[in-house]
Amino acid sequence: MPSEEPVLRVRDVRKGYRGGPVLRGVDLDLPPGRVMGIVGENGAGKTTLLRVLAGDLRPDGGSVRHGGRVGHCPQETVLHDAFTVEQHLRFFQVAYGLEDLRGAEELMEALRFSGSRRARPATLSGGTRQKLNLVLALMHDPDVLLLDEPYQGFDWETYVRFWDLAGELRARGRSVLVVSHLAYDAARLDILHRLEGGVLRVADRAADRVADRTGAL
Amino acid sequence: MRGQWTCYATAVRMTFVEHLRNRLALVIVVVFIPVWAILIYALSLEIALPFHLRAAGRTVTLPANVLNQLAGALQISALITGFMMFVTTLGSASFDRRLVRAGFPRLSLIAAKLTALVVVALCVALYATGLICLTHPTAQPLLLTAALAGGALIYGGIGIALAAVLTTDLAGLVLVTVICSIDLALQSPLATPAAASVVVRYLPDYGPMQWAVSSVALDTVPWNAAGPAACWALVTAALGISAFAARTRVHRPLGEPASVSPVRSHP
Repeated sequence: MPSEEPVLRVRDVRKGYRGGPVLRGVDLDLPPGRVMGIVGENGAGKTTLLRVLAGDLRPDGGSVRHGGRVGHCPQETVLHDAFTVEQHLRFFQVAYGLEDLRGAEELMEALRFSGSRRARPATLSGGTRQKLNLVLALMHDPDVLLLDEPYQGFDWETYVRFWDLAGELRARGRSVLVVSHLAYDAARLDILHRLEGGVLRVADRAADRVADRTGAL
Repeated sequence: MRGQWTCYATAVRMTFVEHLRNRLALVIVVVFIPVWAILIYALSLEIALPFHLRAAGRTVTLPANVLNQLAGALQISALITGFMMFVTTLGSASFDRRLVRAGFPRLSLIAAKLTALVVVALCVALYATGLICLTHPTAQPLLLTAALAGGALIYGGIGIALAAVLTTDLAGLVLVTVICSIDLALQSPLATPAAASVVVRYLPDYGPMQWAVSSVALDTVPWNAAGPAACWALVTAALGISAFAARTRVHRPLGEPASVSPVRSHP
């Protein structure tokens, strides 16, 4: 029986900027093999929380414990215009200490990556850049994947493939944490939280979906 | 298997790809250095000017066009190297941070940037020395190369450090240009009577300028100038490295299992 020990445990995380506190004491447990969503309004602190979880920002207080390898896909595509797709993969292969690029190639195939591996990011479409951004976060098969609005720029087909990929990860015992400002993916999630007032609350899925629809009108 | 050498070699490869993609800088190196070095020599007056070689404890007299050419070569070498280091450091800031978070050793990235700085400075200095030697005899060409490379190293370090606080290429170019222009203008006997003042000893390009003039006017090396130049090069490199380290600071690498930190009890 697989262990239910959380692969991500967050306790009383607080973070503020000059404008005031953003996170006022976030608690979170992400068990293995779960897809969790965090929704919240613009400016609620979702990206700040994800950056703290990814180790990109130091929290003012509290603790974050990871139980394995972590992958982080930032909201904006962090690629280098001087490097080709192939060079991006090679550099991250060294960073992750991977023997080969088989994992990355499988991911590119799963996401139907259409760009040439000799192309540079500036010549790729927004969606293709985002696919590369995602592959770089996933190619080392992390135990926990942190995703910040990962499907911006994806067409519908790629969006569906992304969720298929998330399902495959879950089936293999990997955990995925997706941050979004909309809750219309709620049906695809095992757990849904809402970040509000600087703290996380278990979200009412039905209410969130109605609110999203109303907001979209 | 990943070793330190693999990481360093990969980082060096990355850094040189970045530099070679900076076409504007390469055009400046190939086209503007000869234009600058030859035109400034050909068009300046040949009147004799005294230059106080403080490091050698004597005053030498050189034609104004030679002094102008030496100062010009120092300026263009410093500007190009400073600009190249600024642009690549600024342009790769987010990517470097992501790589470090993925587990890429920060030390390898720093070592690669310093390697690139030394190689760029040496290439620019050798090229400029060759051009200067074509226009007039130089008593100590190696000393001239060392002077130009020293100035380029100092401004390369300044470029890396500025990339930590500025956000646009234009701001970096303007600031490097202003600093370098003030630095060399204060040392030029043509531009300012303060050139013989003790204050010039504290300018970044004091050592390189003293060596550059000595390479033409003397048969000996004024070693007194090496100290200030080495200090400036070390300080600017240290500033650049510190700024880079601060910007790529990671609270826990992503690519490896995290060490378990104690979970504080929640009240």
